[in-house]
Amino acid sequence: MAIVVKLDELLHNRRMTLTELAEKIDITLANLSILKTGKARAIRFSTLEAICDVLGCQPGDLLEYRGG
Amino acid sequence: MTKGKSAALPIAYVVLRILIVLNWFYGAAILALVAFTFVNEPWFMRAIDIPTGTDPRPIMMGLRAIAALGILAVPLNHLILTRLLRIVETVGRGDPFVVVNAYRLNAIAWALLVLQLLSMLIGAIGKSIASKEFPLHLDAGFSVNGWLAVILTFVLARVFAEGTLMREDLEGTV
Repeated sequence: MAIVVKLDELLHNRRMTLTELAEKIDITLANLSILKTGKARAIRFSTLEAICDVLGCQPGDLLEYRGG
Repeated sequence: MTKGKSAALPIAYVVLRILIVLNWFYGAAILALVAFTFVNEPWFMRAIDIPTGTDPRPIMMGLRAIAALGILAVPLNHLILTRLLRIVETVGRGDPFVVVNAYRLNAIAWALLVLQLLSMLIGAIGKSIASKEFPLHLDAGFSVNGWLAVILTFVLARVFAEGTLMREDLEGTV
């Protein structure tokens, strides 16, 4: 997939676990895992907003387009 | 409509199972009838009351052709009924919006289309052998409702396919 989710990197930088993030943004760990591993087909604006809010980042910090 | 309270599903399941068996009996009965027309042709001609002085050969040929087309309908009916039964089973399991049901509906639509063509052919043969002396009234021929059912089933198959894709997208949305 050309869109890469850099959730792992962001969590590592903020010393936060996936479980902690899941609790804070009220999303199941399973769904967040799907997002982290790049298996998600789409991401809701509400999810994006919640993640950016908790991690204090911009959508561009979470998603990256890798062409080719 | 409330889930779990409708009797339509179990009724449909039982009726479809009965129809699957009846369809094969229907096929066997027609086959036996055709065979009998060869075994005892004079008795058969008397039974269907072919008027004296009328050439029985075109009538017999026409009736045998109609019967043969009727036998062709048996596997098509079987295809429709079994596919429908599988769809009903998926509804019973609570997961009907699967891509395989779209394929099943598409197969049903094609079978219905062939059945309509067979019906028109049977109607045409019936008309060609019917006369004032030998009136033949067959419930066959062009049917607006039949063709509407064909179109409806093709459309439903497409709707199912699109719906399944949409569901897959929704399930992959976080």
